[in-house]
Amino acid sequence: MAPSVLQSPVQLPPAAALSLSQQAPAILRNSPSTASSSPFGTLLSGSEKPEQWLQYENLILSCLRTGDDQAAHVCLGRLVARFGDDNERVQALRGLVKEAEAENNGALEDVLKEYDQILSENDTNIPVAKRRIALLRSMGRLSDATSALVQLLDFSPTDAEAWSELSDIYLSQGLYPQAVYAMEEVLVMAPNAWNVCSPTTALDLSPMLMQPSQIHARLGELQYMAATAPGVANGSYQKCMAEAVKRFSRSIELCDDYLRGYYGLKLVTKKLLEENAKPTKQTNESDFALPDTNTIERLNELATAKLSEIIRHSAANDRGWRGYSEAEVAAARELLADDASAAKR
Amino acid sequence: MAQVPVQTIHRDPQLFYWILFPITIVMILTGVLRHYATVLMASAPKKQDRKTLREQRALLHGINVRSNYHVLSKSSFSARRDALITAYETGSYLKDPDNRGQPPPNPMSDPSAMEGMMGMMKNQMAMIIPNTLIMSWINAFFSGYVIMKLPFPLTIKFKSMLQAGVATRDMDPRWMSSISWYFLCIFGLQSVFNFLLGSENAANQMAQQMTQMGPQGAGQMFGPGVDPNKQFLAEAENLAVIEHYSVLDGVEQRLLEGIKV
Repeated sequence: MAPSVLQSPVQLPPAAALSLSQQAPAILRNSPSTASSSPFGTLLSGSEKPEQWLQYENLILSCLRTGDDQAAHVCLGRLVARFGDDNERVQALRGLVKEAEAENNGALEDVLKEYDQILSENDTNIPVAKRRIALLRSMGRLSDATSALVQLLDFSPTDAEAWSELSDIYLSQGLYPQAVYAMEEVLVMAPNAWNVCSPTTALDLSPMLMQPSQIHARLGELQYMAATAPGVANGSYQKCMAEAVKRFSRSIELCDDYLRGYYGLKLVTKKLLEENAKPTKQTNESDFALPDTNTIERLNELATAKLSEIIRHSAANDRGWRGYSEAEVAAARELLADDASAAKR
Repeated sequence: MAQVPVQTIHRDPQLFYWILFPITIVMILTGVLRHYATVLMASAPKKQDRKTLREQRALLHGINVRSNYHVLSKSSFSARRDALITAYETGSYLKDPDNRGQPPPNPMSDPSAMEGMMGMMKNQMAMIIPNTLIMSWINAFFSGYVIMKLPFPLTIKFKSMLQAGVATRDMDPRWMSSISWYFLCIFGLQSVFNFLLGSENAANQMAQQMTQMGPQGAGQMFGPGVDPNKQFLAEAENLAVIEHYSVLDGVEQRLLEGIKV
């Protein structure tokens, strides 16, 4: 699928982002440089479309990523001309451009001061607040970023994007229970929608455009990591592993060719089988229990079969099996190869 | 059954060009004008301060947890439930916790509510004034003519609608007077405006009146005069009565039965 300028370019691979930003001159040439707001203008040219502005935003992102600062400035200029200097999103975008052009830490500090200035005037300016958090994080000031995020979430607890960023920060610090909690909040916000973080919110942080199956799988990964972290008591280990199995299964249930889900399922069941874990007697009714060994074996077989099918088809580049990321397929192949060599021995 | 003879009235064909077209064009132009007047007069949505935002989003958060509880495991759901219920009942999300239990202020005395009403008044004015003007213009210049004959038969009930301003008792309701053409234009030009101005225009008053009637439910939620404390207490109760189940219960079995390789 060719990338479109209407999608958020944040998660595109580098080559795709480059090809997008190479379209920039053509797009800038083809669309009118000023939005005419006079009645005659709109009568003649038709009313403006929201897609156009979205296109500019995404162009800014991919142009900055590929180093085409000039085109980014042109796009920004058009957004400013349309929405004015003090629009919240425009402020955040301008900050983003400045961040990208900053050459040393001092320049970044200046941008940070600017953000603080804006926020002191208007403390509900969420795009700028998010930008500030992202900047703090990329400058390595994790604790500041965390506390700012927690403050943001205190007055806006319905922000899935901020929760997923918080989860990511906690994960990077090894605080698994907190990361799991934050990721569960994301799931509460978006249990069913297939494109939760719509491109309109995508400008602010390093957003994860995740679908529910992915969130479930992500939670499974978190639980697995929490379980395998050193120094975990046996009770909570079993609980985490059980929930990891369930989360991965759910992710596959939602999206039945989801490579990451199968990979996780395979990984967890393999580990459980190796340890020959017996489901301990259920002490606490509210916790999930491990399924019995038979079920785990069957899940393991299912995951193995499906993974090898995916690998086979995507190696042959069959119709309908494209679109898996190459790195993920390679990792799955390695996991299966590992498994096979272990079986031979 | 007596056959009613077909009425024929000889009209000047010029009537068509000098009345029908002018009225239509004037109606379209006023619609366009009204659209731009509303756009110009519209006040920017008021900024909400942080505490109001917090209050509203905390409630929404509770509603989200309540409706999507099934994605959580039992322990994490009950942790959330306990925290939310305690916070709701102690009123820690309220904008001004001191005002708890007091009756909500009169919406008329609240300046922010007054502003909303002013906006509504402005919209009403933008509708009423041009309509009165055009109506009197038509009445002054074109009243008393029959300007066209509809190509389809109608019952007698339509007489008062189609022949306003022409006081003739026995005329076939198919004949139409200029005032009636004006009314027809009011009701029927919506699609023309959609074509000219895009679908979210403010040109047609009928559409606007519809929207004013419409979103009662959504607007009421955080509207003036609603006591947030009561909303929080109700939400706490809703949360408390949930009997938890999880989609993760038995998901392995479902998966093994559902997916065949």
